Amino acid sequence: MDDMRLADSAVKAAETKIAARKVQVFYGDSHAIKDVDIDIADRTVTAFIGPSGCGKSTFLRCLNRMNDTIPACRVEGDILLDGEDIYDKRVDPVQLRARVGMVFQKPNPFPKSIYENVAYGPKIHGLARNKAELDEIVESSLRRAALWNEAKDRLSAPGTGLSGGQQQRLCIARAIATSPEVLLMDEPCSALDPIATAQVEELIDELRAQFSVVIVTHSMQQAARVSQRTAFFHLGNLVEYGETGQIFTNPRDPRTESYITGRIG
Amino acid sequence: MTDATVSLPRPVPQGGSLFTLDGRVKRRNAAEARFRAYGMTAIVLALMALVWLLYSIFAAGLPAFQQTFVTMPVMLDPAVLDKNGNRDPADLAKVTTVGYSKVLAASFVAAAEAAGVDTGDLKPKDIAGLLSEESAATLRTQVLADPALIGQTIEFTALAGGRIDGYYKGRVTMASAKVDSNVKPEQLVLADALKAKGMLVQSFNAGFLTMPDASDKRPEAAGLGVAIVGSFYMMIVVLVLSLPIGVAASIYLEEFAPKNRLTDIIEVNIANLAAVPSIVFGILGLAVFINFGGLPQSAPIVGGLVLTLITLPRIIIPTRAALNAVPPSIRDAALGVGASKLQSVFHQVLPLAMPGILTGTIIGLAQALGETAPLLLIGMVAFVRDFPGALPGGLFDPAAALPVQIYNWTQRGDPGFVERASGAIIVLLGFLLIMNAVAIFLRRKFERRW
Amino acid sequence: MTNGILVLIVMALAAAAHVLARRRSLAVVAGDIKKLHSLPAHHGQTGFLFTAVPALLLMALWLVVQPFVIDARVGGMIADSDVPAGSTHELVMADVRRISDGLDTVVALGGSGEEEALASMRADSSAVRARLAKAGVALGDNVGDAAFTAAAAHRALVHSGRNAMTAAVLALAVAGLGFGLSRVRPDFRARIASERFVTGLLIASSLIAILTTLGIVASLLFETLHFFRLYPASDFFFSTVWNPQFRGGSDLGIWPLLWGTIYVSLIALVVAVPVGLMSAIYLSEYASARMRAWVKPAIEILAGIPTIVYGLFALITVGPILRDYFAQPFGLGSSSSSVMTAGIVMGIMVIPFVSSLSDDIINAVPQSLRDGSLALGATPSETVRQVVFPAALPGIVGAILLAASRAIGETMIVVMGAGAAAKLSLNPFEAMTTVTVKIVSQLTGDTEFASPETLVAFALGLTLFVMTLALNILALYIVRKYREQYE
Repeated sequence: MDDMRLADSAVKAAETKIAARKVQVFYGDSHAIKDVDIDIADRTVTAFIGPSGCGKSTFLRCLNRMNDTIPACRVEGDILLDGEDIYDKRVDPVQLRARVGMVFQKPNPFPKSIYENVAYGPKIHGLARNKAELDEIVESSLRRAALWNEAKDRLSAPGTGLSGGQQQRLCIARAIATSPEVLLMDEPCSALDPIATAQVEELIDELRAQFSVVIVTHSMQQAARVSQRTAFFHLGNLVEYGETGQIFTNPRDPRTESYITGRIG
Repeated sequence: MTDATVSLPRPVPQGGSLFTLDGRVKRRNAAEARFRAYGMTAIVLALMALVWLLYSIFAAGLPAFQQTFVTMPVMLDPAVLDKNGNRDPADLAKVTTVGYSKVLAASFVAAAEAAGVDTGDLKPKDIAGLLSEESAATLRTQVLADPALIGQTIEFTALAGGRIDGYYKGRVTMASAKVDSNVKPEQLVLADALKAKGMLVQSFNAGFLTMPDASDKRPEAAGLGVAIVGSFYMMIVVLVLSLPIGVAASIYLEEFAPKNRLTDIIEVNIANLAAVPSIVFGILGLAVFINFGGLPQSAPIVGGLVLTLITLPRIIIPTRAALNAVPPSIRDAALGVGASKLQSVFHQVLPLAMPGILTGTIIGLAQALGETAPLLLIGMVAFVRDFPGALPGGLFDPAAALPVQIYNWTQRGDPGFVERASGAIIVLLGFLLIMNAVAIFLRRKFERRW
Repeated sequence: MTNGILVLIVMALAAAAHVLARRRSLAVVAGDIKKLHSLPAHHGQTGFLFTAVPALLLMALWLVVQPFVIDARVGGMIADSDVPAGSTHELVMADVRRISDGLDTVVALGGSGEEEALASMRADSSAVRARLAKAGVALGDNVGDAAFTAAAAHRALVHSGRNAMTAAVLALAVAGLGFGLSRVRPDFRARIASERFVTGLLIASSLIAILTTLGIVASLLFETLHFFRLYPASDFFFSTVWNPQFRGGSDLGIWPLLWGTIYVSLIALVVAVPVGLMSAIYLSEYASARMRAWVKPAIEILAGIPTIVYGLFALITVGPILRDYFAQPFGLGSSSSSVMTAGIVMGIMVIPFVSSLSDDIINAVPQSLRDGSLALGATPSETVRQVVFPAALPGIVGAILLAASRAIGETMIVVMGAGAAAKLSLNPFEAMTTVTVKIVSQLTGDTEFASPETLVAFALGLTLFVMTLALNILALYIVRKYREQYE
C-alpha cells in the first residue's frame, strides 16, 4: 500500500490554536455533536475523518461559526481560539471569520474576475491601503495557492471559467488572502480529479508552514498523506484523536480500527 | 511586482482580541444595520400601500351598503291613477311616473303633518324633493303588478334622495347645502325631524346588489344587479370554454407533443400571450367577434370569448405544471398493464392533476372577473337597465359587467357615485376573496407531494 | 328548424349510433368480448364520432359560407342607380339584411296568413314599412323599392338555404351512422380510431394559442394598413402633435402618447424597483421562515387586486392628495390626474411583480456563493451587494423588463389617473396621456369606424403589441440564459 505511506509524523509539540470543550450541536431536536473535546495545534494539518453523517463537517463549521447561518442549529460548550471563546456574546462572527477562513467541498468562485475573487476579502476587511498593496496581496495569495503561473495572464478573466482544480485553488487563494490564522477545509478535493487533488494536497502541506489547517476528508489515504493529527468521528462522538501515524497504524478504539480497515463507513 | 516572492511580508492585521471590535468592523456593522433597515422599510412600504389602498376603498365604499329610506302610508288615489275607474291594465300603463310622483308627494306631505313634523315654510314640492325620483317608478311597478291596490292605503318604503342620503353619510353638510342647487338646508332640517319621528331610517341596502343601474341623477337607486348577472354569464362562458380547451392543450403539450418546431412555437406563443396587455385582446374582440363575426355589442358572449382568450394561457401554464408534477412512475404503471397512452393520461394522470388544474382555473377566472380594459372596447360601457334573459339566449342580450360598471360610475358627475363605485369594488373584492379562498382550500386539501 | 334543434337531433342520432354500435359489436362476437380488438365502449365511441363529427362540421361550414353566397347573389339585384346619394352599396346591403330579418319577425308575429299577405304587399313598400315598424325594425326614408325586392329575395334564399342545410346535415348524419355501424367487426381497431380523433382534438386545442396570436396580428395589421391609407404613416410616427378632430384634418402623431406612456412607466419603475427589490432581498436573505410565510402572500395580494381598483384609488385618494399637498403648494399644477398619480399607483401595482420575480431569481443564486462570502468574514449585506446581487443581476434585469412591459400595457390606472391631454412636458404633476388611454378613447367614442380617428387605435394597438412583445421576448431570453447558468 504505497499510498498509505504516512506523512512525516515528526510533529513538534506545537502550541494549541483552538481548544474545544464539551461541544454539543443540535439541529432542531437531533443531537448532531456530542461532548467533543479537542485541541487543534497551530501550524499543523489536522484531519477529521469518519463515515458520512458522523458530524465531522458540522463540527468544522462550528469553528468559524458558519453554523450561525442555519436557524435551527444550536451550539453548546466552549470553543476557544487563542484562549478566547468564539461563541461569546461580544464576538462578531465577521471578525472571527477573518481569522478562521474556510474552503468548501465544491469550488465556489464568485462570478467575478480571478483578481476580484482574491481581492474580495482584503477589500472588505480593509487590508490594503492602496491598489499596489492590493495587487501585492492578490499576487502573493495566488502564488501561495500555486495558481499564479496559470492565472497571471488572465487575472481579469472570470473565475468561473477555470478548471475544477484551478477553481478550488482559487478558492484557497481567496481564503488565504485575508491572512487567516486557521484554514478550515471541508472535503476540498471531493469534486476534483486525481491530478488536481494531488496539486491541492501538495498545497495543503505547504500551507502548514503558516496556518493551522483543519481538513475534513472522506479519504483515509488523503488524511494519511496530508495530516499530522487525525480525529475520528463516529455518530457525533469524537472517538479517537491522536497523531496520524498512531491512528492509522495502532488505533486504540475498536471503532476506529473497523473504520480504517473498511468495516464501517 | 515581478520580484514579489512567496516570502512577502504578510500584512498582519490581527492579534487583537476577538472581544473588542475594531473601528472598521463597527462601521461595517452599522452599514449592515442600515441595509437591513432599508429592506424592512421596503416591506413596510409595500404592506402600507396595501393597507392604504384597502382602507381608502373600504372607507369610501362601506356606506354604499347603508341606505336612507322613508316609510309612510301612501293613499293610491284612483282619481289620479285610474281616471276611467275600470282597472284596465292598458289604461293603467298610460299613467306615467309623473302621476305617481303626485300621489307620493301628497301622501308624504300628509304623513309628515300627521306625524306632527314642522315643515317650516317649505313648499310641498320641496318636501317631496326629499324622496328619490326613483321611488315613483318603484311605486308604479308595484301598482301595475297588482292593480287591486288602487284605492287602498299601503305602507310604502321610498328611497330618500341622494343628497338626503349623503347628509347622513357625511357627504352633504348644511354648509354645502347652501351652495348646492339640488338641496336646501331646510330640507335637511326636515329630514332630521322626520328621523326623530322614525319616519326616516337608515338600513341595509339590499337594492345595491339586486337593482339595475340608474341614471346620472339618481345615485341612490343605482345597483349592481345587471352587472353581477353579466359578469356571472361571462364567467360561465370563460369556464365552459377555457377549462376544456386549456386542459386539452396542456395535455397535448405536456404528454404527447413531439419536440419539434411547431410545439416550440406553440410554447413560446403561450408564454408571450400571457404577457400581452389585455387591452390588445379587447381590440381583437372588437375586430374579430363584433366587426367580422357580427356578434352584438355589450353582450356577455363577446366579453366571455375575449376573456377566454385572455384566460387560456393563464390556465395552460398552471395546468401543465400540475400534469408535470404527477410522477412518471404513474404513467409507466398504467402503460405497464397495457393501457394506451391516452388511457393512461385520462384515467390515471388527469385525476391526480385535477386539484392543481382546478386551483389554476379558479385563479384564472378570478383574474378574468376583474379584467376591465378589454370590455370597454367591446361596448360593455353602454348604459344597460334591463336584465339579460335566461341562459343560453341571455348571453346575446346586452348586459353590464362588474368592473366596467365601477368604471362607469367613476365617470359620472354626482359625488354619490364615488361611494357606489367603491362599494361595487368591495363586492368585486368579495367575489375574488371567495374564489381565491376556494382555490387555496382545494390546494391545501388535495395537495400531494411525491 | 332552428340551429339549436338541428344540433340536438344530430346529437341524438349520434347517441343512438353509440348504443347501436355497442350492441352490434357484442352481437358480432356473440357476447364474447375477448374476440374483439377493442372494447364495445370504443365501438360505441367511434359510432358516435362517425355520426356527429362530419355532420356538425358540415353545418358549421355551411353557416359560415351561406351569408357570403347569398350576399353575392342578392348584391347583384341592387344596381348602382338604386344606391341613394351619400350612401354606399355596403350600407344598402346592410339595410337589405335588416329588412329580411324584419320580414321574418313580421311573419313570426302574424302567423301563417302573413306569408301570403307579404307576397301581395311587395309592390307597395309603404305597407311593408308600417308592418316592419310594428315588428321593431325602423327604416330610414331613403330605402328604395329595389331594397325591398332584394330583401324578399334574400329572405327566400335564406329559407331555402336553411332547408337545404337541414336536409344535408341530417343526411350526412344518417350516412355516418350507417357507415359507423358497417365498420363494427371484431378486428376493427375502434380504440385506435377514437383515440386518433381525441388526439386531433388535443392538437386543435393547443393550436388555439397560435390562432389567437394570428388573430391579434392580423386584425391589428389589417386595420393599421387601412389607417395608413387614410393617414400618412410618416405623420403618425414622426409628428409630435396629437389633436384628433371630429371633422377630419386631425393630427395623429404618436409621440405625445409614447412620451406619456414612457414617463408614467418610468415613475412606476422608480417606485416599484427599489421597494420590490429590497423587499425581495430582505425576505430571501434575512426574514425568518415565519415572517416569509406571512409577508410574501401579503405582498402578492397586491398582484391579485384588479387594476380597476387601483384606478379608483388613483382617482379618489392619490390624485387629490398629490394635488393638494404637492402640486398646488409648489405651483406645479392643479390637476389631480397627473403622470405622478398614475405612476405612483402603477408602481404600487408593479411591486409584487418585481419582488416575486426577484425573489425567485435571488433564491436561484447557489447557497455556496453566500457561504463562500460569509466564510471570508463578509457581513450579510456585503454578501448581498457584492456577491448575490451581481450574480443575480441578469435575472433581475429580466424581471424589471417584464415589470416595464406590464406597466406599458396597463390601461385602467392611466385611464383614471393620468388624464387625457396629449402633451410633451417634463412636469410630472401635469395631466398627460398614454397609448392605452387613447386606444380606449378612440374606440369608445362616437366617431365613424372607418375614419382615421378611430382606426388610429389599431395603429396604437400594434405599436403597443410590438413594444410589449419585444420587451417580453428580451426579458424571457435573459431570464432563461440566467437560469441555465445555475442549473
